[in-house]
This record gives sequence, structure tokens and C-alpha cells, in this order.
Amino acid sequence: MVEFKLPDVGEGMHEGEIVKVLVRTGESVQQDQPLLEVQTDKVNAELSAPVTGIIREIFIAEGETVEVGTTLLVIDAGTDAKKEETKLPEKVVNPEKTVNFAPARADYRRSLATPYVRQLAREMKLDIELVTGTGAAGRVTEEDLRQFANRLQKAAPAKFPATATGNERLLEASTVAVETEAVVQPKTGSATRVATSSQGEIERLPLKGIRKKIAEHMMKSVTIIPHVTSVDELEMDQLRALREKLKSHADKRNIKLTFLPFFIKALVIALKEFPTLNASIDEHTNEILLKRFYHIGIATDTPEGLIVPVIKDADHKSIFQLAEEIDQLARLAREGKLTMEHITGGTFTISNVGPIGGLQATPIINHPEVAIISLHKMEKRWVVREDGGVIRWMMNLSLSFDHRLIDGVTAVRFTNRIKELLEDPNLLFAEMV
Amino acid sequence: MVVGEVAVETDVVVIGGGPGGYAAAIRLGQLGKSVVLIEKEVLGGVCLNRGCIPSKALIHTAGEYHKLSSLNKLGIQLPTGKSTFHMSSWQTWKSSVVAQLNNGVDYLCQANGVTVVKGAATFLSSDRIGVETSGDFETYKFKQAIIATGSRPFIPPFLKTDGESILDSTDMLALDEVPETLAIIGGGYIGMELGMAFAKLGSQVTVIEAAERILPQTAAHLSQEVLKQAKQLGMTVKIATKVEKAEVANGRVTLACTSVKNGSESITAHKTLVTIGRVPNTGELGLAQVGVEMDERGYIPVTSTGSTNKPHIFAIGDVTPGPALAHRATKQGIVAAEVIAGLPSSVDSPYVPYVIFTEPQIAGVGMTREEAELQGYSVKVAAFPYRANGRALAMDEGEGFAEVIVDQESHLLLGMHVVGADASNLIGEGVLALELAARVEDVALTMHPHPTLSEIWLEAAEAVLGHAIHIVNKSKVAVNK
Repeated sequence: MVEFKLPDVGEGMHEGEIVKVLVRTGESVQQDQPLLEVQTDKVNAELSAPVTGIIREIFIAEGETVEVGTTLLVIDAGTDAKKEETKLPEKVVNPEKTVNFAPARADYRRSLATPYVRQLAREMKLDIELVTGTGAAGRVTEEDLRQFANRLQKAAPAKFPATATGNERLLEASTVAVETEAVVQPKTGSATRVATSSQGEIERLPLKGIRKKIAEHMMKSVTIIPHVTSVDELEMDQLRALREKLKSHADKRNIKLTFLPFFIKALVIALKEFPTLNASIDEHTNEILLKRFYHIGIATDTPEGLIVPVIKDADHKSIFQLAEEIDQLARLAREGKLTMEHITGGTFTISNVGPIGGLQATPIINHPEVAIISLHKMEKRWVVREDGGVIRWMMNLSLSFDHRLIDGVTAVRFTNRIKELLEDPNLLFAEMV
Repeated sequence: MVVGEVAVETDVVVIGGGPGGYAAAIRLGQLGKSVVLIEKEVLGGVCLNRGCIPSKALIHTAGEYHKLSSLNKLGIQLPTGKSTFHMSSWQTWKSSVVAQLNNGVDYLCQANGVTVVKGAATFLSSDRIGVETSGDFETYKFKQAIIATGSRPFIPPFLKTDGESILDSTDMLALDEVPETLAIIGGGYIGMELGMAFAKLGSQVTVIEAAERILPQTAAHLSQEVLKQAKQLGMTVKIATKVEKAEVANGRVTLACTSVKNGSESITAHKTLVTIGRVPNTGELGLAQVGVEMDERGYIPVTSTGSTNKPHIFAIGDVTPGPALAHRATKQGIVAAEVIAGLPSSVDSPYVPYVIFTEPQIAGVGMTREEAELQGYSVKVAAFPYRANGRALAMDEGEGFAEVIVDQESHLLLGMHVVGADASNLIGEGVLALELAARVEDVALTMHPHPTLSEIWLEAAEAVLGHAIHIVNKSKVAVNK
């Protein structure tokens, strides 16, 4: 006797509607012959006979909605004649369903499974504690393992591909750590394909690695955070003069002095005065987390895409120290040698795309941070000073902020402060700690 | 030691040929690894040569001898005159049993391509080990190593064993005569097993236990049955008593003891057996050379695969924290071997059964009622007595009971314990049931052969459900607790 149960035909389906019953009691069926049609919220599936035999009993009717695991019908495969005489129950419902069984964890409280199934889980590289058992009292069955593996494969193909670069692995690892995934997926190769459609040639590339992570991260940020971007213009003449002056000193010490250390310095001074910009929101507890440390992320371009190494405790570092550290992190990023330590823990991000170009932008906040600044091209512009037109070195600054936490007035006051500090860099020294 | 000597290369070295080490070596051989098994003394370890096997041979003999006195009741008339036991003859028989098993292990090692090296091993570096064989020093270069050097009796300095009057369990099993009087320091399972055996063979036995009861690791209601039998065998049991001094004079040992109840007292016996615990053999292996970490008591912490803090060095058995049991060592050994061969094996079970060969025997697996309640379970517990089992009575073994502890909500088995005749063989069913995550119904609905002792599990399981056939069941309410 083979009990034919409703299998999980779609990702994580719990129940399905029996659309059509294609066989009758007493009818003989061939293996793989369609028996039923079932509809779930995702798919419409035809269920076929697992064995050749005679339909002994059908427990369901068309139109009925049943749970996964419910016995739908019984097929007599003619292998065990003895059991044929056993009277089958009217309807096999899973009595265990009513038992409130909390899955076990430590020591004796481990998940329920036979030693063979445990071994199978290890062979399949699955953490059995994460698998929901559908067997009696929540036992994990072989079938449960297979379904769990299938779901994972669909959900996250090509985790840790063998070809991943240093940065890719790093990002994968950080995400996996966050998602507490306990599973290492089997490798799946995905090659570049070129297809020709009616419009012309399309190259199809797998979205994977860092690109995929960036995609997911950006999507998450814009989905959660209501972004507002405010743009302002800064006069850079004094800062340029200062940098020029300090450059010779920096060169002596073999330090590559860019504008970025000054921007960071001005930023952390402003952040200390505007605590809501150095913060995050805990969506689960509805709390605002004001951070009393200033770890500044530097958006960095690498061969594989954007990565954000973090300068820790930027408020405690001198301009030269910041310059050295930026240089070092940028090199590590390009070489793919950053570690988890380097890319986590940021409280605010700066994106310095100025050297490349661009007038203004609407940067996406690096969630769970609440604001981001991007700095744009420095150029000579015709501006009005004391009622007269003069030529000055100008730079635009775009600040995107989380409007849940920060209002427009606060944001503009914040950028005003940064503007003040950078237009007259003497103030930077006045505020130095 | 010859410096610059050429090292013999091998995949794996296993240090120690006990039940953990030889199983690991054989499994490695099966998996196609080259293996060197280093044994200081004889293959089989403490278990086979000085522990489980010889002690069971003595316990069996003592049991048979003791039964002679009750044969009369069964209608057997022995010829008049007192039966006698000659321990020296027993030694010959015991040696033949041990030798047969030694040869078996030897043969299996050979058949699986395991190279056995006799000598004491010391790590020289993270991939080399030196072996001091008789008159030579050999060096082996390995990829992985398994430490399986076991444990030895713990003897405190003031109880220095001399092999004559103050003995450890090894000395005790090597005696040629049954001592007239025997004092045993430590009422744990080794002390009680040997104490009861010698009591049956005619010794006047006094057991001195520092804890509040004998077999302190076992649930009190189980050890109670053993205490009852100990008294029937004429043994003296002193609980909550500490030995402070031992003096040997004129072939007698005098122990100075103190207890809150009796104050100071002295106990004199021909022999004193010290069984107060075991310590791991990890001191002289040069583990520092490899950087393998030990805890403050000398045990080597390991993961579920058996690997130490050094991923290529494994440790199994008594050198690892946990109960010093041969079957645990064997399981760990096989898992370590498989992990070395790249298989995804793991020691993943909390169900390590225990067996105690006292009179009557005690065996169990899983939680006791107390442990289950401590873990936050609501439990149902029921016991079934031997005296209601036909076979037990027909064997003249009506003492003891089997107990089943289940989770009240799901009816999953949490623990199975038995005290009584052949408990050691009966617990196999319990281990399998718990390992398969069975419910009490699974045991109750399974046909058990009649007439056998195994029916006590069936009936105890039924009793949990309130419908055992051969006892009057307590009301459901009472059973539900």
C-alpha cells in the first residue's frame, strides 16, 4: 500500500486546492499517470502516480483545500498483500498537527530525526536544526531535507562561488552572517550567454557576487528609507590654499594628501553637533539609536564595484592620519584584501565622486545609517561676492537624509555647518580635539 | 634519540590502542588511509586488559559462585561439603578470554592494513611523533594524529598504592587469592562492582564513600536497589565518610576515617582498593610541542568531530571531557577516522548509555525524571517491576524495575532506566528508541517476545499510557503527576 500525500509543489506552499480528481477508486494506474490537479497560490500542478497499482481509496474531493502532507489517496502496489486487509481509516489526518511541539536545541533538546537522517543532513551540508520537520511530533524526514535543500537552492543560488574574489567573498560572508544562514550552497556555474532577440543582440550576464549584493543592499535602503536630498554649493579657495601649503609637509612624510581628510574632519565636527545624523533606526523596537562614535565609511570604487571601507573613530585622528588611512584602505579595497573588520561598523558614509566629475546627485543612504554626503566636481565658477562678479573655486555637496528621523531644516543647518567649516578651514583647527 | 633520523611517513598516527584507538585505526584502514597505531602496552587498552572485560569475567564468576547457595531452593542438591573458589585458576581462564580478544584486535588491525608499533609516543612537532620502542627510537611523520591515550586511576598522594596492600583496580583483578577482608575507598561504580563481586566470593567488604550515598552519579531510587543487595551480601557501607590516612603494618591496612555521624574511626583490612576516579593520560605526550590545548584537569576539549584546537589533531575517549566509557571512545574514534577521510561524520548524540554491573545491574539512557524536570519538561513517568515479569520470576530474579520517562505533551521518550537482572543487555532497546526519537506509543505498540525480560519495557511504556496489563495501573491523574 502506498499512501499518496500532498507534496510541496511550490516554494514553501502549505496547502493546495484539489482542482480535479482524474482517477476513481478501483481503477488501475500506471506509474507517472496523472492522478490529480492541484492549485496553489503559485502554481497549478498535475500530480502523478508514484507507483503502478490499483487506487484503493480516495480521501479528498474536488474543490477541497488540503494541507501539505495530507494523505490524498492510497494505491495498492500489490507488494504487501497482508496489509490489504487492514481497514484503512476514513480519513488520515495528521494527529501530530495538534501537538504543540517546540523544536529542540541544546543538549537533549535537539531536532528530532533518526541517526540516518542526521547523517544525510550532514552529507547534504544542511543544518538539521533549521529544517522544519513534517513527520510525527515534528520529526525531520528525508523528504524534509530534500525540500529544504530545494528551497534554498531556489532562494540563493551560487553562494560562495569558487571563483569569487576576495571582496566578493567578504561581502557574501557579511550577508550570510547577518542572515544567519547556516548553509553552504553547492556551486552552480552560471555562464555568460549571448542571445539575439528581434531587436538585436542582448548579452545576458549573471547578476552575482558584489553586483548582486549591491543590488540587494540598495533595494533594501530605498525600500525602507524615505530619502530626501539637499544640495548646496561651497567655496573652496581657502581650503585649496591650505591643502597646497600642507602638501609639501605631507610629501616629506610620504603622505598623499587629498581633500577627503578635510571633508571627514569637517563632517565629524558637524556630526557631533547634529547627533540625529550619526544615528540609525531600530525598526523592530521603534527606537532611535544615537551613536557616540564616528566611524566614517568611504565609498570606494573597485574593479568589482562599490565597496565601503570604514575609518574608525575618525574624530580622534589628525588630517595626516586620516590621509594615510584612506590611502591604505583604498589600496586594500582595490586588491580585494579588505577584511570584515574593515567594512563593518560605519555610522556615516561619504561618497567622493568629485574627482571623476558630476554636478549633483541623489545618493542612496547606506542602510542602517540615516544620511550620506556626496561631494562633486570642484570647478571655477562665476559667483557674486559683495555685489560684484568674481571667479571662485566651487564645489557642490549633496546630502541625502532619512526623513523619518531628520527634517529638512536640520539637514540644511547641518550642511551649513559643514560649509562654514570648509569655506574657512581655520575653523577646523579651532574645533580640533 | 638520533638527530636527523629519517621519519617514516604515514597519513595518520593513532596514539593508544584501546577501544577508541583501535576502532579509529581499523576504520581509517577501511577508508584507505595509511595508519600507524602506537600502543605502549597491549592492544585493547584498559577496557580489554584491565577494565571492562577482566572485571566482567570476575563479576560473572562471582555471580555463578554465589548462586550455588540458592540452588537448593530450585531443587538442586549439591554434594555435601563447601564449594570453593580458586582465584589463581580464575586468572588462567581470564587470561585466555583476554588473550582471545587481544588476538582478535591484532588480527583485525592486520587485516585492515594498520601498522602496530609498540612503544611510548611523544610529539616532536606539529607533524612528527617519536616512539620509544624497546631499545630504539622511531620517528613518524603524519598528516593527522588521533590522541587516544585513555585514563588511569586517580590515586591521591596519601593513599600511595603499593600493589600489595593498597591496590588500584588493575592490581585487584590480578590477585591470586580472595582477600579475607577488603576495604574499598570510593563507592562509585567500579568500587561497587568489584566490592559486590568480592563479597560474593567470600570477602568481608567495607565500602567507604565520601558522598551521601553510593553510586552518587546514578538516580537515588535506582542505586537504592543496589544498596539493599549490598546489605544482603553482608557488606558494610559507610557514606559521608572521608579517609584521611592509610597505614600498612603486618600485612594489614588501617584507614583513619572521619564522618560527621561517627566522628573518627579506623577500619582495618587485608587489602584496600582505591577507586575514587580517573585522570586522563595527557601529561607525557609532549602536547605542548603541537600546541594542543588542555583544560585545567588535563582533558583535551574537542568538537563534535573530535578535532582539538589544532584542526589536524584529534582526541577521543577518556582524554576528552565526558564520561569515561569505552562505547563513547569507540564512537568518537570512528567519527574522527571518517572526518579525517573527508566524510561528514559527527558525534551528535546526547544518548550515551551507562551500564553498571552491580547486583542488581543498573543501566540507562537519556534523562532521569529530575534532569527532565530541570530542563523544563512536564513529564509522565511509570515503572514496571521485575516481579511482575514471568521470565524474571522463572530465573529467580524478581528484584528491580524498569522506568520510562516521557514528555507529557508530545509523549516523546526522554529517558529509559532499568535496575535488575541483565539490565546491561536490556538497555540496547532504550538507546535505539531514544536515538530514533520514538514516542512511548512506539514502544507500547511494538510486539515484545514472550517470555523475556524485554517485556518490562513494553509494560512500562503501557503503564505510562495507563494500561499496563500485568500491574494494576494508577489512576490517570496520578500517572500524569
